[in-house]
Amino acid sequence: MEIMTDNNIVLFDYLNNTKINGEFNGSIISKFKEYVNYLIFSDNIKISEDDGIQISQGLMVGFERDVNKHLAFSKKDDFIWRDLENCPLEYSILVPSVIMEQYDEGQFSDAFPFTITMLHTAGLYQKEPDGLYVDHLDFFQGEILRNPVGLFNRGICIADRVVIDHRGDPVFYDSILVGRNENDILEVSYEPLVNVKMDYDVVRFIIILGIENLKE
Amino acid sequence: MLIYENRKAKLLNIFKIGINPFKKFVATGEIKEELGFVTSRKELTESIIDIIENNKNIILPIIGEVGAGKTHLFWNLKKKLHNHNTFYISLENYRKFYYSLYSEYIEELGVGFLRSIANELCNKWGALERKFGFFHVADIEKVRETAFEQISKNFEDKIALNDIINAITAHQLDPYKKLEAENWLLGELMDFRDLAHLNLLYDLRKKSYAFTMLKITIENSKLGSVLFIDDFEKIISLMKKSEEGSEEIFDPSYLYGSEGSTLDNRAAQKILDKILNLQKIRSIKIIITLNSIDSLEEIKRKIQEKDKKLLLLFKNPLFLSNFEENDIFEFYKKNMKNFLKSVNYLEFMEEYPDSYFPLNEKTLRNINDKVNGNPREILKLLIKIFNEIIYSDESLENIIHSYEN
Repeated sequence: MEIMTDNNIVLFDYLNNTKINGEFNGSIISKFKEYVNYLIFSDNIKISEDDGIQISQGLMVGFERDVNKHLAFSKKDDFIWRDLENCPLEYSILVPSVIMEQYDEGQFSDAFPFTITMLHTAGLYQKEPDGLYVDHLDFFQGEILRNPVGLFNRGICIADRVVIDHRGDPVFYDSILVGRNENDILEVSYEPLVNVKMDYDVVRFIIILGIENLKE
Repeated sequence: MLIYENRKAKLLNIFKIGINPFKKFVATGEIKEELGFVTSRKELTESIIDIIENNKNIILPIIGEVGAGKTHLFWNLKKKLHNHNTFYISLENYRKFYYSLYSEYIEELGVGFLRSIANELCNKWGALERKFGFFHVADIEKVRETAFEQISKNFEDKIALNDIINAITAHQLDPYKKLEAENWLLGELMDFRDLAHLNLLYDLRKKSYAFTMLKITIENSKLGSVLFIDDFEKIISLMKKSEEGSEEIFDPSYLYGSEGSTLDNRAAQKILDKILNLQKIRSIKIIITLNSIDSLEEIKRKIQEKDKKLLLLFKNPLFLSNFEENDIFEFYKKNMKNFLKSVNYLEFMEEYPDSYFPLNEKTLRNINDKVNGNPREILKLLIKIFNEIIYSDESLENIIHSYEN
């Protein structure tokens, strides 16, 4: 087991050729390469020369095409990629415990009794280079939705809740942001509030995770 | 332009409005005492703090005659014991003892700390377990089961414990019951409908519920807890009342049983049992105040009859003596400074830092000697003198002169 420091959080980065062998536990986000755009949330990851990358019981989140529709999904599964050259993962990052503590505090610091918790995972918004497939932002204007996950052009946002403001822009509360800086180095930060302007066209998708899918 | 101001005359005029700098001569557990202790009592305060900070479960008796400042000691300790929640209870009202105690404790603790304790408990019971490394999907039933498994062996009344766990977990994990659960935890009276909504049997007026809740909050508070029980011999007086009997034509024993088991006596016995039962709460420190060492011995005898081992909890008594010779001057000065501050006239003190105006050293010394340094009696006399200064037509010199001899 590797001992992690706050700086040593990138476990695997295809772009920067980073790979730390070992077995890691904690809060881990793995992102697929551009052509798939799936995310995996897990509490473990094992990286080794012989066995490649293994994630046990992770939650894969993304959009899948169903005939003419795009449907959001979240699935619990085991993932193994022995050949790292052909591994679809772009990066795996371990969120430092300090950030997770802030995230936990943000979740319990306030009570929002009128928050909408979805039973099943659903897509709130999805835009691909070839078009806008899902947009329910107006429908949820003024509502508070629990467990949103957002994929942006250069990063990921996982938050405790998202509110759609009167302009139809999502505001994420109690968020963890993962993304690349101007030098393409991966960074993680905690933000109590993230205001996203839809006009800037940076959002690839926003998925609301369903409680039933999380409980499974 | 004001060239000269007669500040003494101005101070007298302020008094004449009708403001007495010495107002009350009895401290209570409800009204905060701003005035600190005089220097000669600092050693006693330090000894108490030392005992409190270096022991776990104890009963510390403080002995002082009537009016010596035992209740005032509570306010002084409350200011000094920074790492403790110090709360006061009087045995005057001994009905619903644990409920009253819990209410006092929560008032001292504050709702913010109560929430934080509930949050930490739920955390310990696994409410913050993260699914897939990130998501808190608290399974309330599972958290409740874990909680019961973890702590039930330390509690006698399992039904009360079960309901308390239900209330704490509902407060933290069920947003639709949070408000009602918080009211319940704060000790508010609940009707049947509210209790049914929370799926609880009773509110905290129920003895075993209040005790269990008290034990949970005190044992999980980051600060220590000091319970200050004033006038502890009230228990003895209640017991004696019935033992001595009364010269009534109607003998209550016809209706209420024989002597020694009258209502007061039984209540006193029960209250003593309840206080001794508090020792089951880890790290609670109890300070009791008594008027005499005889009362302490009598209480110890009563406790010995119940359980000899409990006597081990008793620390050697500390004595709160009357004012020493020079304490009255410091006491007077502190009081006057407070008064001058309240009327925005501290310039007087700056101009006359060593003056005891309108009194003088001789009068103060005389007052002290007259009442053997008993603070309450000193205060009574000071109130009397200042009332005369305020309301009498006599000149100040004549009034002061009459108290000099």
